[in-house]
Amino acid sequence: MAQRLVLQRLLSLTPRTLPSQGPRVLPGRAFSTSVGCRSTFNVQDGSDFQDRVVNNPKPVVVDFHAQWCGPCKILGPRLEKMVAKQEGKVQMAKVDIDDHTDLAIEYEVSAVPTVLAMKNGDVVDKFVGIKDEDQLEAFLKKLIGA
Amino acid sequence: QEAAKYNKKVMVLDFVKPTPLGSSWGLGGTCVNVGCIPKKLMHQAALLGQALEDSRKFGWQLTEEVKHNWLTMTESVQNYIGSLNWGYRVALREKSVAYENAYGEFVGPHTVKATNKRGAEKLYTAERFLIATGERPRYLGIPGDKEYCISSDDLFSLPYCPGKTLVVGASYVALECAGFLAGLGLDVTVMVRSILLRGFDQDMANKIGDYMEGHGISFIRQFVPIKVEQIEEGTPGRLKVTAKSTNGSETIEGEYNTVLLAIGRDACTRTIGLDKVGVKINEKTGKIPVNDEEQTNVPHVYAIGDILEDKLELTPVAIQAGRLLVQRLYAGATRKCDYVNVPTTVFTPLEYGACGYSEEAAAETFGEENIEVYHSNFWPLEWTVPGRDNNKCYAKVICNLQDNERVIGFHVLGPNAGEITQGFAAAMKCGLTKEQLDTTIGIHPVCAEIFTTLTVTKRSGASILQAGC
Repeated sequence: MAQRLVLQRLLSLTPRTLPSQGPRVLPGRAFSTSVGCRSTFNVQDGSDFQDRVVNNPKPVVVDFHAQWCGPCKILGPRLEKMVAKQEGKVQMAKVDIDDHTDLAIEYEVSAVPTVLAMKNGDVVDKFVGIKDEDQLEAFLKKLIGA
Repeated sequence: QEAAKYNKKVMVLDFVKPTPLGSSWGLGGTCVNVGCIPKKLMHQAALLGQALEDSRKFGWQLTEEVKHNWLTMTESVQNYIGSLNWGYRVALREKSVAYENAYGEFVGPHTVKATNKRGAEKLYTAERFLIATGERPRYLGIPGDKEYCISSDDLFSLPYCPGKTLVVGASYVALECAGFLAGLGLDVTVMVRSILLRGFDQDMANKIGDYMEGHGISFIRQFVPIKVEQIEEGTPGRLKVTAKSTNGSETIEGEYNTVLLAIGRDACTRTIGLDKVGVKINEKTGKIPVNDEEQTNVPHVYAIGDILEDKLELTPVAIQAGRLLVQRLYAGATRKCDYVNVPTTVFTPLEYGACGYSEEAAAETFGEENIEVYHSNFWPLEWTVPGRDNNKCYAKVICNLQDNERVIGFHVLGPNAGEITQGFAAAMKCGLTKEQLDTTIGIHPVCAEIFTTLTVTKRSGASILQAGC
């Protein structure tokens, strides 16, 4: 799709919204939304992916998406919500395939959305396309449990 | 992809130099990103607007006023293009074609330097090279053109509605863009230096122009802009255009939100190091002359597409030429690309489909006395109920009297012109004659059936005005 250089420069200046340290223990349900926020992050580059996905002691679901993809816009928030429900047992990494084409190619993404379940750096499960909440719940539980 | 099929090691270097206003795009070339695809989608958007109006007469009750949102349309169009860009990346990867988003230039007879957008350089060598760098819009070379004017490279991703627009040019790009912008409800003026659609059948070109004028598009003829100034910044801003007459010294001024330049396209052959490998180009036009096997004067360098001298600038032609070339090089095939009877369609508000000779070219090649032109107006059934435009749609075939009245030219002005023309192009490839056309039974009620019942010749001067079915 078409881009304008100004917009691209603006996006590259956007600071990371999440801290890079490991998860902290938070008291009470009042903070459940912020746990959700920190469970989900946007991958910044290849080495960020290495650090926070491949080398993550926790299981991570990787959501490969694109700006031009309608179904991705539905799946993304839905998956985030289900990940948040797992109370920190799993994290979610979002990868924009146009910004990180090398990563998408490395993990053989053809169509979007493609979601990979990763544990200890290995792809243990995956699906392509939209799923409903129940299916996502089952997918996540399997990843955490296995 | 074709070469990779034959187990050749292939690399593609694709790079888009941003427009003066910063627009750029992904893999796929002009057609996908800033040509045929977005153009046809926006043309469709305009047609749908018309359809909504027509629908009232068919009983649909539109309670709200029908308005158009430019951003909604551009977002949808760009999303689709994004999926195509990605699709091409995947296809190249699946066929094991290496791809670099880098600007390629020859630095030696078998060596190319690839520079990416960060300025990093890499060198690649190959046995053979294929140049398909296409063209980019030409600018006028007047004060304010690069700073304030846009081109088709910018239009299809413009992040704001262009508003009151001046389209400079009379090419199919100019007329198609003017057409859909007006169809979306914008105030559009077209500034034309001399004739419309140079190279196309002028009888048809004039009918297209008349139709557009009759539908609210203003034409300023025989003027060229000499200065563009900014009155007010904005998205869109306000621009003042000063133009001079092509015969006389009269100058005029006009105020517009957007000025769209569509005066022609220049081949991207001047800064790719062709001198380093010895490929000759036409210095004036930048185009590359090739033989009928798409080979340049340097045996291991080939070229296809819009950059070729004296060849049609159409996507399917380039694709076909490329595929056949590879099959000749690596699969022992002998078929060459057939550049004769290539059908085309201009997607102006009244669409124009054509295959073969224009009336002028036929008269010049065969002699006016040796051709017979059959023609007729027609009224699409779908337009009758809403009461639209009778006697504007037009069908014409040109036959060679010295060759069994072979159909050598096919022209149609009307809705779905492209769909109509495709089939007749295949028939012409088989040597369609007027008699075969006459003995073909028409499908009723469709526009295309008119071609099976053409009886009036231009020569007779008889009337072709239609009354109805």
